[in-house]
Formats: sequence, C-alpha cells, structure tokens
Amino acid sequence: MEASGIHGFPVGPLIRCGTVELDALEKRIAELRSEIRAAKAAGEHATVRSLRAELRKTERAWDVALEPEPEPAKAPLLPVREQVHQALTLLGVPTATKMIVTVNEAFFAGHIATSQLTSLRRDEEKSFRSSPFARPYYLCAALTSELLSPARGLLAVSTWPMPTRIIGPLSPRADFLTSATRIAEHIMRLTGAGEDASPSAYRLLTRMAQNIPGAVDGFDQADPTQVIAAAGAELAVHEESDASHRDEAARRAERQLNEVRQLFGAGLKTARTA
Amino acid sequence: MTRLDTLRGPAEPLDHNARTIAALAVNPGCDRRALLDAAGVDKQRTATHLGFPAPFGQSPFAITRAKSFDALVKANGCAHLLRLLRSTLDLSISEASYSDISDVGGNDDHQVRHTRTRALLKRAATDGDGAGTLFDHPLLKLTVAGHEVYLEPAVIAFQIEGRFHIVEIKSFAVIDDQADAGQVAAAARQSAVYVHALRALFTAEGLDPGRISHNVVLVCPKDFANHPTATLLDVRQQLAALERQLSRLTRIDRILDELPIGITFDLETQSPDEVGKAVATVGARFAPECLASCEMSLFCRAEARDRESTDVLGRAARDELGGIESIPAVLGLADDSRPPSPEQLEIAEQLRYVRRIYTEAVA
Amino acid sequence: MSIMSSYARALAVQNGRAQPVATVRHLHLSATPMVFIPLKLAGEAAAPLAALVGTDPANPRLLVVPQPRNRDLRFAFMAELAEVLLPYIEGLAGVTETVEAKTPYERCADAPQLLVPNRGGIAFTKLLGRSTRFRRTDGPYPVHPSVPVLGQWLTFLSERAEYAGSSALVSMTDALALHWATGQSSMEDANLATQLAWIAPPEGLDGPEAALVAEDPLTSPPAGPETHPDFDGQVLEYAIQAFETSGSAAQVREALRSQLEPTWTLMWQGVRLLRELPEAATVEARWARDRDQFTRETARLAEGGFPRGRVDGAVSAAIRLADLESALQAYEAQRAFDDPLVMIEHRVAGKAFSGEVVAVDATRRIVPAGKTRAAPRPLVTIRTSDPVRLSPGRRLVSSRNRKQRTEIVDITGDLVVIQVNDQMGRGATPAPGSVPEVGDVVCYAELDPSGGQRPRLPAGEDTPWTHGGPPEPYVPTDEDAQEAWS
Repeated sequence: MEASGIHGFPVGPLIRCGTVELDALEKRIAELRSEIRAAKAAGEHATVRSLRAELRKTERAWDVALEPEPEPAKAPLLPVREQVHQALTLLGVPTATKMIVTVNEAFFAGHIATSQLTSLRRDEEKSFRSSPFARPYYLCAALTSELLSPARGLLAVSTWPMPTRIIGPLSPRADFLTSATRIAEHIMRLTGAGEDASPSAYRLLTRMAQNIPGAVDGFDQADPTQVIAAAGAELAVHEESDASHRDEAARRAERQLNEVRQLFGAGLKTARTA
Repeated sequence: MTRLDTLRGPAEPLDHNARTIAALAVNPGCDRRALLDAAGVDKQRTATHLGFPAPFGQSPFAITRAKSFDALVKANGCAHLLRLLRSTLDLSISEASYSDISDVGGNDDHQVRHTRTRALLKRAATDGDGAGTLFDHPLLKLTVAGHEVYLEPAVIAFQIEGRFHIVEIKSFAVIDDQADAGQVAAAARQSAVYVHALRALFTAEGLDPGRISHNVVLVCPKDFANHPTATLLDVRQQLAALERQLSRLTRIDRILDELPIGITFDLETQSPDEVGKAVATVGARFAPECLASCEMSLFCRAEARDRESTDVLGRAARDELGGIESIPAVLGLADDSRPPSPEQLEIAEQLRYVRRIYTEAVA
Repeated sequence: MSIMSSYARALAVQNGRAQPVATVRHLHLSATPMVFIPLKLAGEAAAPLAALVGTDPANPRLLVVPQPRNRDLRFAFMAELAEVLLPYIEGLAGVTETVEAKTPYERCADAPQLLVPNRGGIAFTKLLGRSTRFRRTDGPYPVHPSVPVLGQWLTFLSERAEYAGSSALVSMTDALALHWATGQSSMEDANLATQLAWIAPPEGLDGPEAALVAEDPLTSPPAGPETHPDFDGQVLEYAIQAFETSGSAAQVREALRSQLEPTWTLMWQGVRLLRELPEAATVEARWARDRDQFTRETARLAEGGFPRGRVDGAVSAAIRLADLESALQAYEAQRAFDDPLVMIEHRVAGKAFSGEVVAVDATRRIVPAGKTRAAPRPLVTIRTSDPVRLSPGRRLVSSRNRKQRTEIVDITGDLVVIQVNDQMGRGATPAPGSVPEVGDVVCYAELDPSGGQRPRLPAGEDTPWTHGGPPEPYVPTDEDAQEAWS
C-alpha cells in the first residue's frame, strides 16, 4: 500500500493513510496548485517559479511521509511495485508472491514483506479502472484457462502477451521450469559480466534444480548450464500441449473479456482471490 | 432424521472433517459418540456446557508449521510433490497437470466446488491420458448417518495410469526413516476417510471404485530439515474399521429406539443439568484412550468414576480383572464378601488368591 | 499389567490412594541425579524450546531458546546445555576403581544419571542427540565444540535407556509406576502430576481429589516435552514476538519458567519418594553394567570415536536386539527374586510357586544322562497352595540360590517334587546348607536371572549377502554434518 502511493497516484490510498501530517501536506499541495493557476493567469512568472519549487518540495515531503520507515542502508529506493516488476521481468512468467520475494532478495538485494503484496493486485486494478493504460505497466492477474478467472496467488505483468498470462493445467509446471531457466540464465549473465550472483541466488537455483530431473547431482550446488539443459528437456515434453491450451484460452479471453477483465480476470469475487 | 434434529435442537448440524470422522472409528462400541455425531451435535460446546471442556487442543505453532509445510510441498506447481511421485510411483515426466478446486472462478460455494470435483475426476477417469494428474482441494461428500456431509479438503487426489491415490501432506518429521507411530496411525485413519469418500464418488458416477488405491501417498518432512519425503501407506485396515463404524451410524435407529421420547440435547433451552441427564440416557463406553480424541471424554470419565466402573482403570486392567464391571464387585469377590455368579467362579478364585498373597506380601 | 497390578489399582480406587506394587526400589538412584526437563516447540520435530536442569533441587538452571525457529539460537541452547551436562558427565569419568576379574580392569566408580519426567522426555533426549552428534566445529555451519560431544553423550544415554534395568536415563513416571499402582489408568499415569497426586496427595485431599486438581494445566503445566496449546497461544506466542521486537528474552524466560518450575518440584518429590524405598538386591549389579558401559564410552570418545551412524548394520542390529531381549529377561527375573510383591505376578501366572518343604531326600544319587558316574541329585518336596502351571522337566531357579539349577520331577495335588542338579560341592553328598531342609519356606520360579543365551551371530564382516553383506563402517559425512535443522 504505502509504496503504491507514488506521486500522481489517485487519491484513494491517501485517505487510508490518514495521518495529520499527510492531510496537511495534501491541503498545502491543493493550495499551491490553485495559487500557481492564479499566478499564471496573472502572468506573474517569478511567483509561478517559486510556487512550483515549493510545490515540488511539498510533493517530495508527501512521498516521504507516505513511504514506510526507510530500511537502514541496503534497502533500495525502488517502490514495492517496481521491485515486484523487476523480479517478474527476470522470471518472465506468472509467479507466486513468495517466489517474487525470494528472487527480489537473491538478485536485487531488495526486501519486500509478503504482507506488502496482499493488496497489490487489487490496488493496481483500481488504478487501472480509474485511468486505463495511464501507466506503462500494471501488475495484474494470470487467468485460469477454463474459466478465465484470476488464478490464485499469482502476479503477472500487463505488458506480457496474453498466452503467457494464461494458466492451463500444465502451466504451473512449465512456468516453474521456465523460471528455473531464467534464473540460471541470469546467474550466467552476472558471471559473464565479471560479477557473481549472491549465495542466496545459488541456493535458490539449487533448491529449484533438486525438483527437476537431471538438473543437479545429489546435494551439490547447481550448475546453471546443467539446470538450463535439464529444465529445457522437460519443458520440451510439456511445451506443445501447454501452449495449445494457453493460445486457445488467450484467444477466448481477447474475444470475450473487456480490457479490465483481460488484465484482472472474469471472477465473481476478484477481491478475495487477490 | 427428525428425531436426530430434535436431539440437536435448532443449532446447525456440525460440519465433519476427516479428523472427526476418523475419530468415530477409534471407539466403535460407544453409542453416545455415535448418536451425538450422527445428530451433528457440537460435542465441544456440549462438553463445555456440562462443565467438562475437552482436554485437548492445537497449538498455534503446530498449525502454522502444518500450513507452511503444506505450502512448501505445493509451491512452484507442486514441484516437490512431482519429484516425489516420480521417484516413488514412477510417474512419467509428461504427467504434470495440476488443477486447483479451492474455488471455481472465484466461487467457493461447497456445491459448486463439489460439482466441479466430480466433473474433473470423472473426466480424468474416463478420458485417459492427459486428462489430469493432480487435483488440489477436491471437495468430497460422505454420508454420515443418512446425512450428506462435505469433507474439508486437505488433500490432493492424484491419478497415475488410471489409478487414483490420495496424497496426504503432514508436517510431522520422518527421522532416519522412522516416524512417530501414533501420528502415522492418525494420518492413516484420516486418509482412509478420503479414500472412502473418493470411492463413494466413483460409485455414484458409475465408475469402478476399485480404481482408488488403498495406498495413500504420505508426504512428510525428512529428518530435521523442511525437505519433503514421500511414503506409501496401506490404509486397508483403517478403511475396514471406518466402514464398519459408518455402517453402525446408519443403524442409529436402534439407539434411538431405546431413548425416552422427547429427549433433547439442545443447549439453548436446557440447563447443564438437564443436558447432562439427557446425555446420560445414552450409554457411553469410556476408555482412557477417549481422553485423546473425544470432546466428551472428561464427562464420560466422571460418570464412569461415579459408577465405580473398572473402565477408569483402562482396557487392559479391566480385561485382567475378568471384565467385571465395577470396582466394588472386584474387591467384593476378592474378599469373599460378594458371592460370585456361575460365570465369575474362575475369576473369583483368582482374585481371592491374589488378595491373599498380595496382603501377605505387603504386610 | 497383570491381575495383581490391576487388583492393586482397584484397591487404590477404594482406598483413595496409590497402592504399592513393590517392596524395594528396583532402580539405582544416584546421590546426585541430574534432573532434566526439556521442552520443545509444538509442531516441530526437534526444536528445543527450554529446559530446566541441575543436580541441586534448590538451584535449577533455566535454559531457553527465545526464538525456537532460529537455528543459531538452538545451537546456542545446546552449547549452554553442554555447559551444564558435560562437566557433570566428564567429572564422573575421572574416578575409577579396579574390578577384580580374570583380567582385572578399571571401571568408573560412578556414572551419570539423567532423570526426565516421562517417556516423551527420553524420546526427545534421543532426538536432541541425533540432531547434534554429527555437527562439526568447522565448515559451513560451525557449532561450538561442546555441541557434538553433548550429542554423543545424549545418544549414549538414550541408547542405555532402551536396556531394561538400566538407570542411566530414567523416566520418572515409569520409575514411579514400577513401585505404585494408582487408581487411574496406566495411560493417565504418564502424567507426572496426577500420578504423584495419587501416590502422595497433599494434606487434606485424597488421591482422586488431588489428581483432579493436578489435571488443571494452570496449576500443573504439562511435564513436557510438549507445552500446553493454550499456553502456546495465549502466552508463548506473544513472548516470542516480544523477543523479536525488543531483543530481550526476559518475557520468554519468565513464561517458560512458569511452565517448568512446577514439574521441577514434582521431579524432586519423586526422587524423595523413591529414595525412601530400600534398594533391591540386584540393583547394584545392574548399575555396575551402566558404569561398565559408561567407562567404555568415555574411552571410545577419548580415542576420537565417531558418532553412531544413523542406522545400524544388519549384524549389529541383530546383536543389539538379542542383548535387549536378554537384558529384559534378566531384569524381569532379578526383580521377581528381589521382591516378593513382584514375584506374585509370576505366582499368579503359575510360573512360580512358594511353599514349605515337607520332605527332602538328600542322599539320592543317580547317573545323570550322558554321564557314567553316579552323582548326588537330591529330591525336595514342597507343599504349595499356588496354582502351579509347570510340568515335569521344566528348569527352575530358587530364590535362596539363584545360581542353583533344579528341575521339576513330579507334581501331584499340592505337592511339587524338584530335583537339585548342581551347586552342592564336590563331595559324594550335598554340602551342608546347599539343599533346603524340611520346614524351610522356599520359592521356585521358571525365570532366568542370567538373561539366557545370546544367539550365535556372525561377526560384522561375515554379514550374509541376504542382509546386505558386510556393512561399510560408519564414517561421518559432510552431508550428516551440514544437515539442515530448520
């Protein structure tokens, strides 16, 4: 919630924050805006400049007031939704919150509490409904292939092709294999660039590899190339059947659902499945 | 049915789950438990009303642990579970489909979910290959004493080569290939309930119930880590015990016939004393084992103590004492103050002898 | 469970108080037993939560894990436990005595004795040993050097506990049940508080009343290792949260102290009750075996002995089973010969009888089967009112000389004739006093205090292929040492 309240976000979340400080700042922002309008109308350019400077300062103060207490040092300055977007972009498939948190910690030294994600999808939906496509991307739902309802507990990115955001019976497995591959590839990119991935990144890869046939030997640390090969081999088994399910459902979704529902699902109770 | 409703009063009949139904099979000789369960009486509330709240409960730590382990096993498209099924049951790589029936398009109504469960399982059973492997949170139904009850779904149904298995996820550890016997037994009893319910569903759909395996896949953490491991558990014996007990419940009329007319356990209108008297009209068969599984156990134990019944000493002791019902009778036969009936002649002689040498040795 | 103990339970109900089922104490009780009350976190396999431990009733040491899910805090707890237990154990290893035998050897003069409240305490001690004995002080998850040593000792003690008659690691409820029958079931006797309420109710209450009071978890919290679910939900959860936010373990310590102290008092009450009983004749010999094993383990560890593997090989498993069986047989027999109350169980079952000697044929000599010369084989006739269920040929042991071998020759009505086979000296007639005399009250039983013969088993290196072939000797692995404990 807190982090979605970046500048320019609709007013909804503000009210819920409800602190005296925020109220005062908002009042001041509104005053400044009308003063700017008045100054503009009067052609007082110098006043406009100084008022704008004060407006920016006040808006920054508003942002700061809304953000949670900054974590000491290591916490990145990215808002939660951007951290989530970053992790999802690495993974490339609809993903459960727990995995998002783990990937964010392992690769971006980020820190999100799972509780911060519980209402994310709902907030994004509200934002989309109030001004569709106003943002470059939305964190949205994945849709179940049969009923096109939001799949439980998964987050996706609105810019992904529709079939990627569909979950058919084989998709949980296929997506798991894809994310293992993407993680292995990312580690290789890091090592290729002369850096190295964190120990927790290798631990994550190893844990995933242990559930993929042939991806790791015994209790050793997983080797990214071996993981990519093994995951690819199993993925080849599921790919065709999974893709045909997804494509068919995606066509149906695009035909039957309006914009909001294409992103957030055709469920009856979207709120509780968030 | 109406008599059972009268017994319960206006309260809604209690939902059953595998644990409550499995507990039925623990003490099949107890009419009191059979009747209260058949009528859907809330035994926990009743016992509290009577001043004998149940002596057990569940720690929040245990609940949290169970939930997190369950989530771990199912995480990432059931990645752990697929690994285990591939190694223990040779599940082929291509069989990896997963359907969650915890809601249907956001609707979690019992009837809707049950219908969906039936449809998916039927399709899986008739379409053969590729028609589904894992079915999470299937909502099953069971007939208990003529009532249809939904079973809280805490398992996964799993299909391999046309045979269906129940997958039960439990958070007790298997350490060096050994697990706590009591917990394994409890898991087996609960799994048997699901196997039974799944067979009932197949029968109702005109499918062969024999396709539901009596081998349950039990998934537990291995050693001290969180790493899941799987074992096959044969629950035939638990199934037999369960089926026997369920069939007893359908013959509940016999117990009802012996009850006074108009009796009720309604907690709203009856004082604790009245409910106590009403409950007492139904015979119980108390054993100390009840203390671990039945909400009414402390009430029944107090009753057994008042009657000076040998039941309070435990089943083994009661058997050693020749099955004689009361403690005064045992002691009376031992000190010759009570004449034995013809069938008590042998045990009476033994008791007299035990009393003599015990008294000598203690003195 | 026998008709005798069941009768005693019935009597306990009538008298409102536990009844004796032993006249002497059948276990060794150390002058300084180490009382150990461990608690674990519900739902976890072996996550220690707390322990109250010590040899001084007035001065218990409280150890807690303020966040039981934190692995480092768990190992810190184990290191702290080692601080208490290792000096106790190693201190006892220092004093030895010379045992006169064919080849005289050194044996520790005393051995450690751990008292836990119940069987759950023994099982948990075993798990603590299992979860720490493989640990290493270097490598990925290093622990304090004392932790794996403690793990080896806890493993040793819990192994000893499997041997009948060992007093190295004792469950208090089992020890009490060995000596008293309460008016509740044996299942309920696993609750130390209610069991003691029946045995020694406080002033003004009878056994059943005191047991009801003792069932209230507020006055008598569970003796562990599980804590009460209500305590977990209403107290402990918040105390752990308080630790998480404040970093102070004070609240957790106080909460757990409240759960442990009542049991601490009960444990020492149990010790006092057991101490009041005179020690049975064979206790010392059994304790000597505990000391033997302790001496061996001390030497083995001093030589850098590996921790015991996760599973036994086929031959060592078979040997162990045979040893356990033999220890159980010997223990049953010794207890019966030590204690007339225990012998009752065997008399009732018809496997033992007691009576007066009515005739002795002391000069009888026969040529025993397989021998060429006549030897003394006196006959003793005993009149008994016991329901003897033995037949001629059965070998018996006498309570007056447990080494003397005898066998039944005839049973007619209430007269039993036995033949004495050995222990009569080298003369042509039995040595004086080696055969009972008319008027003696004697007891004979088909029980073998020596524990019988161990079956012949192949040596480990000759393990047949059907049993997996010769086992690889256990060598600790990295995997064992780094095993997750989450």
